[in-house]
Amino acid sequence: MAGAHPENEIVPYLKGELTGADRERVGHHLEACPDCRQTAETVREVFDLLSRAMPVPPPLHRARYLAEVRERIEGRRPGGFVTWWRRPLPIGVSAALATAVLVLILQTGVRERGVVSDLGPYEEVVLGQRLQISEDSALLERLDLLEDLDVIRNLDGLAATRGS
Amino acid sequence: MEISDEALCERVARRDDEALATLVARYQERAYRLAWSILRDAEEARDLSQDAFVRVWEAAGSFRGQAKFSTWFYRILVNLCLDHRRRQRWWRRLVGGSGPDSDSSEALVEKLPAPDPGPGAELGKDEMMQRVWAAVGRLSPQQRAAVVLHVQEELPTREIAAVLRCSEATVRVHLHRAVAALRQSVGRG
Repeated sequence: MAGAHPENEIVPYLKGELTGADRERVGHHLEACPDCRQTAETVREVFDLLSRAMPVPPPLHRARYLAEVRERIEGRRPGGFVTWWRRPLPIGVSAALATAVLVLILQTGVRERGVVSDLGPYEEVVLGQRLQISEDSALLERLDLLEDLDVIRNLDGLAATRGS
Repeated sequence: MEISDEALCERVARRDDEALATLVARYQERAYRLAWSILRDAEEARDLSQDAFVRVWEAAGSFRGQAKFSTWFYRILVNLCLDHRRRQRWWRRLVGGSGPDSDSSEALVEKLPAPDPGPGAELGKDEMMQRVWAAVGRLSPQQRAAVVLHVQEELPTREIAAVLRCSEATVRVHLHRAVAALRQSVGRG
């Protein structure tokens, strides 16, 4: 049997979307290829099942629907009434909350991976001195956010590449 | 004579509230049903379908009439639904939730007996219908959207491509892969 199997064209062929030479080509192939013919039959069966047994969503309560759309539009207008739970937080508060959530999640992730550092405070101070990170104030400011120990463990490599 | 959707959209661009109300009346059931088919959650479907109408209100001025209003509207709605699914998946991964997309229909499938592949043995029709729609719930969001637009909305491939903002060839691939996965679910693969 000549030609590649037109797998991606079986659906449009069955839908009647192929025309002219394409339709003829796929039609001839289906006549000659039992596998593709079986595939086409199964595609027909699957779509038939889908269309006969479409799940029905819970009923839409239409009465309030338009009113709710109008409320949403009103809520997005500058100066429009916005219910309190829809009001956007100030950017600073949003950023602080997002950072806190990220820190909590990373902390949780680190504990779950079982890689919580066993370093005591003394060892951490010594490690910090060896890495000379206390001289890099920008890095120190970010240490509060660097809860992921993989980053801290890689500081050795970072310090070396910076030639400190 | 009934005014066309495209003409109504032009009026919405001029802030005609009654035109919006007419469009909502015409499309709310379809929008809700389409959103629910993708999201499988009634509350989310209601929210996102309403958001789609809000977007119509806000962006009606950008509708040029090059495509049908329905295509443009479905594109807005499907993109909202797909974005929502993506955010949900990201959030589940971040907090260590369950892996792939799933919904309650998956639990139903797990309770059904596996199909017997032996000759002459066949799943009951009802069971097969349940199984195949449960399998639709496990498709990727794009494949699910393509299947729903094809089966439920009976859109031609060209329009599905316009809604999903992809090529017709991509839609054909989505449908082909979706059918392959669905065939497995009914023991025909």
